[in-house]
Amino acid sequence: MIVIIDYGMGNLFSIQSALHYLGAQSITSADPHIIHNADKLILPGVGSFYKAMSNLKATNLDALIKKAVIKKQTPILGICLGMQLLGSSSTEDGFSNGLGLIDCPVERFSENKFANLKIPHVGFDTVTITKENKLFDGLDSRVDFYFTHSYRMAFTEQAYAVGTCSHGEQFIAAFEKGHICGTQFHPEKSQTNGLALLKNFIEKI
Amino acid sequence: MVKKRLIFTLLYNDGGFMLSRNFRLQRAGDIKWLKSNYNFKNIAFTIDELIILDVSRNGRNLDRFCEHIKMIAEECFIPIAAGGGITSYEQTKVIMNSGADKLVVNTTLFRAPNFVKELISTYGSQCIIASIDVKRPNDQAEIFIDNGSTKVEMAFDEYIDRITGLGIGEIYLNSMDRDGTGHGYMFDLLGQLNNSVNVPIITAGGAGNWHHLLEGLQHDKVDAAATANLFNFIGQGFPNARRQLLESGIDLARWETSNYLDLKKN
Repeated sequence: MIVIIDYGMGNLFSIQSALHYLGAQSITSADPHIIHNADKLILPGVGSFYKAMSNLKATNLDALIKKAVIKKQTPILGICLGMQLLGSSSTEDGFSNGLGLIDCPVERFSENKFANLKIPHVGFDTVTITKENKLFDGLDSRVDFYFTHSYRMAFTEQAYAVGTCSHGEQFIAAFEKGHICGTQFHPEKSQTNGLALLKNFIEKI
Repeated sequence: MVKKRLIFTLLYNDGGFMLSRNFRLQRAGDIKWLKSNYNFKNIAFTIDELIILDVSRNGRNLDRFCEHIKMIAEECFIPIAAGGGITSYEQTKVIMNSGADKLVVNTTLFRAPNFVKELISTYGSQCIIASIDVKRPNDQAEIFIDNGSTKVEMAFDEYIDRITGLGIGEIYLNSMDRDGTGHGYMFDLLGQLNNSVNVPIITAGGAGNWHHLLEGLQHDKVDAAATANLFNFIGQGFPNARRQLLESGIDLARWETSNYLDLKKN
């Protein structure tokens, strides 16, 4: 059973619809027992990093997720804000620590590097695959996904970044560190490209 | 660079999906018809974004509208914007929980700008599409609200300034004169947009064939081209239009459109 973690932030309906379409059984839940026994976890999220972390902490979900991912080696996919939460910290609404499953901070896009650069970065954009991985298996080396975000993980030569995108600067579009995965884009809103990626997460991670 | 977009707009009215011509509605069919007979999926997998508008003329039923959004969203893997008659935060919560990613506001932009501001601070700019219905009887554009029935006594430029000042995320510019005619987009209207407008523009009203979509997307002020006509792109019309636009050099997102049934397991 895939568990979509419900902590009051984001569009759970679309993710569950996509998993259903692919024939995967899923449930949205905040129940510690269900999350502990999940085969796979999806951490969704739309909104503010600070508020999301507060919600996770208030319900002790932060410790629960870390335990499942580190001790039980439960595969996890963070989507959009959910991906950012797997990182070390964010400067959104002040400074807050993330779950720290990936050693990477989240910061706002640098302003005004190009006059016509719009923040948030919204729409379909091209992701370039930077190294061999499982998430993008079967997809082209340049593939389009739907983004909507104002904060990002800046790209550095980390071993785990597997896809990058550019919006005035290069940033991490997807990472895959063994069983810990994240996509800054929304696979559930990216047509067959996104469905194929979710299928890979279900079958190969 | 963010891609240009092809948008389909579904007009919902009291349980049915409608054809509109100059804002006069004609019922095409219900959700069953849309999914089975019309094979909406074939269009859904060839567009970049879907807009669903409740244009009901005789009172709206939000719960029923949202049930329809859900039935469409469960097999539609793109951003979905929904709206029509939004006047309260409670309504928007129900809409967003039904699979919508963005909200479309029109009349409420004029009647309750402060409420729109609240929506923007709650959901973010990128979530709010300002829909504007415009007639252009002469060289002056006139703005209408209430499903096109009430004229707004404000100049076009001033109105655009006012709504962009609220912080809306994009503008859906709909020509009532061209609506449903298939005569192509009204470029004079786009020309009237001030160069200072820096939010994405969706052009709507008049697209009758893929050449019209091409003209729209080639316009330097246009980020997205929309059509609400259920019958101008029937059958393979939309898949073919998308292919032709890509072949004509329009920078649209690319994905495999033929394998969606292979991925479907439920």
